[in-house]
Amino acid sequence: MRESVKAFKKRKSGHKKGSNAKKKQRQFLDMKAKVKKIDPRLKKLLKKKARDYNSDDDNEDETAHASEDDNADSMNDDVSSDDDGKEKKNLGIEIEGSENEDEEDYDMQPGITRFSEGSRAFRIAFKSIIKKAISDDSLGPVLSGHKKLVAEKLAEEETERKVKGESKKEKHLVREKGHVKPANYLDAHEKFLLTVATKGVVKLFNAVNKAQNAQKGLNPSRSKDAKVIKKRRKEAFFSELGKKPVADTSTKVHASSGEGPSWAPLRDNYMLTNSKLKDWDKIPARHQILSTTYINPVIYTYQMEGGKKDYNCKIFGNLATGSSETHHAGKPLYRTDPSNRLED
Amino acid sequence: MFVKPIAKKKQANVDHITGDKIPKSFVFARGKLPVSLRQLQMDLRKLMLPYTALKLKEKKRNSLKDFLNVAGPMGVTHFLMLSKTETAPYLRVARTPQGPTLTFKIHEYSLAVDVAQSQLHPRCPQDLFKNAPLIVLSGFGSGEQHLKLTTVMFQNIFPAIDINTVKLSSCQRIVLLNYNKDTKLIDFRHYSIRLQPVGVSRRLRKFVQNHQVPDLRNLQDVSDFVTKAGYGSESEGDDEAATVTLANDLGRVNKASTKSAVKLQEIGPRMTLQLIKIEEGLCSGGIIFSEYGTASEKRQEKNQSNGDDQDDNEDIEENDEDSD
Repeated sequence: MRESVKAFKKRKSGHKKGSNAKKKQRQFLDMKAKVKKIDPRLKKLLKKKARDYNSDDDNEDETAHASEDDNADSMNDDVSSDDDGKEKKNLGIEIEGSENEDEEDYDMQPGITRFSEGSRAFRIAFKSIIKKAISDDSLGPVLSGHKKLVAEKLAEEETERKVKGESKKEKHLVREKGHVKPANYLDAHEKFLLTVATKGVVKLFNAVNKAQNAQKGLNPSRSKDAKVIKKRRKEAFFSELGKKPVADTSTKVHASSGEGPSWAPLRDNYMLTNSKLKDWDKIPARHQILSTTYINPVIYTYQMEGGKKDYNCKIFGNLATGSSETHHAGKPLYRTDPSNRLED
Repeated sequence: MFVKPIAKKKQANVDHITGDKIPKSFVFARGKLPVSLRQLQMDLRKLMLPYTALKLKEKKRNSLKDFLNVAGPMGVTHFLMLSKTETAPYLRVARTPQGPTLTFKIHEYSLAVDVAQSQLHPRCPQDLFKNAPLIVLSGFGSGEQHLKLTTVMFQNIFPAIDINTVKLSSCQRIVLLNYNKDTKLIDFRHYSIRLQPVGVSRRLRKFVQNHQVPDLRNLQDVSDFVTKAGYGSESEGDDEAATVTLANDLGRVNKASTKSAVKLQEIGPRMTLQLIKIEEGLCSGGIIFSEYGTASEKRQEKNQSNGDDQDDNEDIEENDEDSD
């Protein structure tokens, strides 16, 4: 049973194959039919095109020959040109003939020609190609081989690209003007700047340490401690006041500043000269800043009880860092600025 | 009829401790900027933090008046304007609303990104930009008026410090402006401040800082970890000038009343500026100072030179002698 089944199966499978093959054949036939059923109009058009193409070729050939005739000697060339002419005629006839044949035995499958026919056509075609006289260019009509043309075009493109690139580069330069990538090491100048900045920070931190050490261990929220803090701040404040600004002894001194108190509000002419930023040039005249380095305006505060109101008194000092030129390091230099003073 | 008096809101633009008016700033561009300058603008905004508009949106049609109108209610006191011409980029620093305006020519600049790229270990702690930077002005004390004005301007651009109440932990950054007398250029640098305890081996410091289990494989005893000195690269070049005693604890590492070394690391941006003009008003008004001389001055000079030419040669010789 099994065997039989197997056989059956086998047969069946074979049958299947056969059917498939048939199908394929049918398909092939269909295809053929389809191929055969090309629209005659289209076919004509194609043929016409083919002819045109050939004629073009002929023309070109003729022109090429004509040009060569001009150049070359008489005898040999004449013969060769004659030969060419003959062959051309032959070729033309042949093509026509083949076309005719195609038309005549319509049942012959397209794309297949008899061997003899094919070989003849090939021979003619080959001959014609070999006979073709080529210009001295040696490369012939192969465009990609025309080094001169290609080189010219490439050069042109190159110059174009160069011009474009240059203009782009120029634009980029203008855009990036002043943009500098820093070196990945510290040169002398950077180191100098770093030390200057460090000095400033150290100065400030020391000042903060000095000021805050005074109120260390005291809780400002406790009234007892607050009093102590106040007292200490007062002392510190007046000690700051007591220091004479360096400017007073310098060359540019106001008449009053020599005698009067060093802090501006304690002077007679205070507030008479408005020292807004508008009159910025008058401020330094009164308190000339001699040192070379300043940090943020640092505030020394002290609470004064004046009548009903409590108001803050502030000194805006500049922590001057020590520099080689001046020895006034650490001495606060005063600057008064009404905009910074408290209004009520 | 009783009208409830409107409670006066505590002004946000006043420091709640010192009661000072906090300077605030806008950083924006005038005209179209190339990419790198836009980045510089962003860096400057970060530098001006926290009292600046980090995400200030500007449009092409925004005029200076628009910014000025917004500046009033917002309490903005300073404008930093970047612009660009064929020759160079420019930075204008102005006080609002009345001026003055300082115009700087930016000779060279590097972005924060460039600076970070140039460093082996760029540093940017989380709360670096939460407090205003300190400002250090150096070399401006030569007595010239325009330099003084520059000093005042830059001092007021950042909030003042009350040394009685200031917390050292809020001093994280520093802006340095260094004036070079010879070249008349101002170096603008931005550093981050880091404090390190002095006299502690690098190993121990790292151990305390990093909170990581140290590698003890190569050691015979735990005590070696403490006693053994690290490799020779330990920078013992901490000069005395760069050490401070702290008033209070700063972080886990820096304890009060111990010596700490101040280390600065650049965070950028970096600029080389040249002061070329000072105007009285906000980008307008009379010119107080001009590097290249004002038009009227030039005219005068021209007239003088013409006059000199007409004079006799003897006069010129005399002048030369005088000048000598």
